Amino acid sequence: MSTEVSDSTNLSEKKDFLVRSSSLKDVRSFSREVFEKFKINEDLREELVLAIAEAAQNIVKHAYKDYPDTQDRMAVRISCTDKELEISFFDKGKPVEKSKVKHRAIDDVKPGGLGTFFIQEIMDSIKFKEGDKPWINNLVLTKKL
Amino acid sequence: MKFKVTEVENISTVFLDGEIDMDVADNVREVVFPLIDSGKEVHLNLKGVQYMDSSGISVLVESNQRAKQKNTKVELKEVSQPVEKVLAMARKFL
Repeated sequence: MSTEVSDSTNLSEKKDFLVRSSSLKDVRSFSREVFEKFKINEDLREELVLAIAEAAQNIVKHAYKDYPDTQDRMAVRISCTDKELEISFFDKGKPVEKSKVKHRAIDDVKPGGLGTFFIQEIMDSIKFKEGDKPWINNLVLTKKL
Repeated sequence: MKFKVTEVENISTVFLDGEIDMDVADNVREVVFPLIDSGKEVHLNLKGVQYMDSSGISVLVESNQRAKQKNTKVELKEVSQPVEKVLAMARKFL
């Protein structure tokens, strides 16, 4: 885990993970550790952990759908000011087609659709950007504090 | 993720423990689906589950659908607070 900026008003932590489902537990552990360090409200922490884990899961499931044995890594950056939390995800997988990012009906039980719904419920904004090199995708989630 | 199965008459109760995510969802399916396929009523005890994401919800929905096809049923018997929160959010999706 690396601390990019650390002062009284702007905190930021970043860590990268191998792109595979077995990394999701590590993503959650990292997130919980950072939220404790940033003193994020305890009631909010597990919701945020869920949103982060769902976004990371989407990278594994969709951006690397055809590459289950990839050695690529994804990065998660959690930044916090007094007013807002910003969580950024970086990956080198298949570019996100924004029009296809939506949740599905409950009878269509593929997790990606429900996961995206969870992210929308928990976070205030979701933005897909092109990542600066070497990254391909950059997802940015924000939550007002 | 750990599990334990108890049998009383035609009811199998599966006690799940730990965190249920994409990485272990198939393990849960491997435990629960054969019980459903054998025609037993399946009770899921999630009291010991500290974390569950959309993959876990999918397992619950699939289990329910599978039970209907097999003319039996799946019931949630005890649910931890973290799981109840996720279930409440998932119900909005209905």
